[in-house]
Amino acid sequence: MSDQPPRADVRGSRAVAPILLAASLLCLTVSTRSLEGVPESLGLTILGFFQRGFSAVGGFASDTVASINELRRLRENYVELSAKLERYTNMERGLADLREENQRLKAQLGFSQDVAYQRIAARIVAKDPENLYSTITVDKGFDDGIRKNMPVIAFQDGMEGLVGRVVEVGRGASKIVPIYDSKSFVASRLSGGSRTEGLVGGQGSPDDPLLMRFVKKRAKDEVQFGDLVSTTGYESLYPPDVAVGRVRKVRVLDYQTSIDIELDPVLDFSRIEYVFVVKPQTAGGGE
Amino acid sequence: MIRSVVLSTLLLVACALAQSAWFGGIAVFGVTPDIGLVALIWLSYMNGLVAGPVSGFLSGLAEDFLSASPLGFHAFIKTAVSAAAALLHGSFYIDKILLPIILGVAGTIVKAVAAGALFILFGSKVHAYSLIGRTLWIEAAYNGVLAPFIFLILGPFGRLLVAERRRG
Repeated sequence: MSDQPPRADVRGSRAVAPILLAASLLCLTVSTRSLEGVPESLGLTILGFFQRGFSAVGGFASDTVASINELRRLRENYVELSAKLERYTNMERGLADLREENQRLKAQLGFSQDVAYQRIAARIVAKDPENLYSTITVDKGFDDGIRKNMPVIAFQDGMEGLVGRVVEVGRGASKIVPIYDSKSFVASRLSGGSRTEGLVGGQGSPDDPLLMRFVKKRAKDEVQFGDLVSTTGYESLYPPDVAVGRVRKVRVLDYQTSIDIELDPVLDFSRIEYVFVVKPQTAGGGE
Repeated sequence: MIRSVVLSTLLLVACALAQSAWFGGIAVFGVTPDIGLVALIWLSYMNGLVAGPVSGFLSGLAEDFLSASPLGFHAFIKTAVSAAAALLHGSFYIDKILLPIILGVAGTIVKAVAAGALFILFGSKVHAYSLIGRTLWIEAAYNGVLAPFIFLILGPFGRLLVAERRRG
């Protein structure tokens, strides 16, 4: 008669130690929060590589289809740009005078030197795979100098506009939450006379307007359709005076002490291809 | 079974990558279809209560890495949807058009319910669908319309993606 235990018991007993080791590691990880953010960063690094591959394939296909119209469009653009160049040459002379005046005024008001911002250009390679979250993935990451919570801007139609902020960074890819995300909030102010401040939040879709809340009710007579709203930069992640949106509607409710303003984003997020991650640098030298 | 789980997971991850990289151009009012969800429903219905949810869990984790969602969010949702589909395993014959549409729409609603359950538990830390918003219903309709085509495409790959059943 054999004294050997059943195979199942042997297998089961051999599994106990690894399971207990894994459970201990899990408890340790949770209690010390040692790996906070590391799994997401690692996953993004790995999957970001494949995202770029998929994006490249899709880009090649769309570029091939668009190339036929490209030449015709370029010809038309050339004629148009030649005319613009002539106009801008004339404007440049006036701009030089304005710059000198600006420098003089700043010196009189005792402004410190302009904060220099280093911008890291990045290409959008993917968006969020689901509809519940709004994410933009770009092809630059930790190795390119990008860090979490850096603000992101873009240029479109000659205007600099706020895109969002970096929320996760991998080695070669980064995730950005845009300003139209429902959990995104930007301290902003109305440009123009009132300079009234408020908090701009998204509604979850680039097709829905942004909502500027907590605007003082007395400002309702000063707000005009089309007024530009920009970032304040006060104790904020975002640099100051970056355009966010334009006023399209003012909501006034009698029982509220503040008004809500609907904004059209200055950027058309469906057309953005390149963004710039802003790396703020403090001005050198003391007082 | 391991082979079918691995291949199913790879397929679902590829669907997620395709959704993130290519589907922006076919959005309807900013809403893109979730072909990974539809594929997961088919895989779970065919594979049953073990392989389906495992594939759903792993592909959901991959989606969490691609999205701004907290880790575990999509893993939970995909596991819930795949478990629901797996419960129907072998219950009825899937025709070419009507049942795929029904499963596509129903799967999206189960996804919304799962997200809602997480919202109740975790509050503002997670996102959920609004029942009166258009996102959920556009996505459900989109998934329903695409489901027959996705089921049709996956059918011939059953030998690779569906775990063999023990005989006798």
